[in-house]
Amino acid sequence: MGLRIENKVGIIGWGAYIPRWRIRLIDIAKLWGFSLDTPRDLGVDEKAVAGVDEDSVTMGWEAARNAFLRANIDPSEIGAVWFGTESKPYAVKPSATIIAEALGVKPEKMASDLEFACRAASEALRISIGVIASGLIKYTLVIGSDTAQANPGDILEFTASSAAAAFVIGPASESAAFFEASYTYVTDTPDFWRRDTSPYPLHGEAFTGEPSYFKHIFNAVKNLMEETGLKPSDFKYAVFHQPNGKFPIAIGRRLGFTIEQIKPGLLTPVIGNSYNASALIGLANILDQAKPGDRILVAPFGSGAGSDAYSIIVTDKILEKQDKAPKVIDYLNRKQYIDYATYSKFRGLINRIRE
Amino acid sequence: MRFSIPRFWREIDSRYRLKATKCEKCSRVNYPPSKICRFCGSDKTIEIYLDKEKAKLITWTVIYNPPYGFENKKPLIIGIVETLETKTKLLVSITDLLPEELKEGLELEPVLRRVNEDGEHGLIHYGIKYRPVLK
Repeated sequence: MGLRIENKVGIIGWGAYIPRWRIRLIDIAKLWGFSLDTPRDLGVDEKAVAGVDEDSVTMGWEAARNAFLRANIDPSEIGAVWFGTESKPYAVKPSATIIAEALGVKPEKMASDLEFACRAASEALRISIGVIASGLIKYTLVIGSDTAQANPGDILEFTASSAAAAFVIGPASESAAFFEASYTYVTDTPDFWRRDTSPYPLHGEAFTGEPSYFKHIFNAVKNLMEETGLKPSDFKYAVFHQPNGKFPIAIGRRLGFTIEQIKPGLLTPVIGNSYNASALIGLANILDQAKPGDRILVAPFGSGAGSDAYSIIVTDKILEKQDKAPKVIDYLNRKQYIDYATYSKFRGLINRIRE
Repeated sequence: MRFSIPRFWREIDSRYRLKATKCEKCSRVNYPPSKICRFCGSDKTIEIYLDKEKAKLITWTVIYNPPYGFENKKPLIIGIVETLETKTKLLVSITDLLPEELKEGLELEPVLRRVNEDGEHGLIHYGIKYRPVLK
């Protein structure tokens, strides 16, 4: 494999955020009259719930602050802030500018919110590769953050959770891990959507698995491996989008990966599906523990539908960065269970009249 | 909508990043920032940001009847904290804990949160709150 555009670009810093609050899926099953086996069938025990004063902006801010601690650059050096979410606090008014201002990123920058269901932040990674490799910008800040919505009582409610992941992307020479190759595969697929004034998304049942999740990730990863000549055994870790605890293992196996490669990046069983943060917080957890030379496959997915596949190689610089900010495990260990009523209040599921 | 938009916009640096002023004469920190030192009257002050400083909880109150904009934050915990480096006392919201977990000297760290909002359709006011340190 010759030198690729991607090789000029890498991850300078990474960071994650998971809220303190958790709800057990068994409580949701009991309330809405689902079989008590539902959590086991989904492969998820509990999910993270953002507090009453949290949203995708505040969670994204904390993940980005952690990414800056590891990047060890001044926020004023950032040339673009891209925020991937499907739970914007404002329908119109950029979230990226709020986070940029709150972190001290200078006004002379690009900033916008990207939307592609769960893979918007991943698209921002590919855009970053382009603008950094071309020399247009030195560093970008990419954030994936969601307080995922679900219709109360819908099967999606079991997994729709809250978390964020952020990455400072920049020159490979300064990176903790650089991009070896990337590949994107997108089509128009009616698997999951939310109309502009709907509070909750709907999904096209039969479209959820094969025609969307499996087809797109499979094609992105397969093409990446064919283009690069890499085999599953060349990777130490593989992390996929995680709508539940079972799909990522199934797609991994189909592509030839083992459970040992998938497990370290699989967080959905304990935090749920954090949409734009889903695969990326898995990547953050892997970077928290990776060693120089490790090769990581990352394949986020977004409904609608599309998937990106990345091959990432860890460098020597990772060791000096790992302990500079709280790790994913620190956030996993900080947890307090809440009941369904508290969860409903926190996520605004109770319709109150406010004067 | 009831909140002043210009006032919020003017205060963004102090709300988002705890912009303060430090007096070059008496070394004390003014928060909210003031070009004239509130302690000694000197006009030799420089801008500093306190948003990376941890703090300890000095005292607090739990508000069961918060004003407009805070309705869904009940009970609202307001504390006086002292930052660890510049020893600045701040009046801030305390978050991510239950009232029974409050105790004097609790070590806290700054986080960006939704402080209040102007009804269902107005602006969301983000700002720094303090929460127990992660580890």
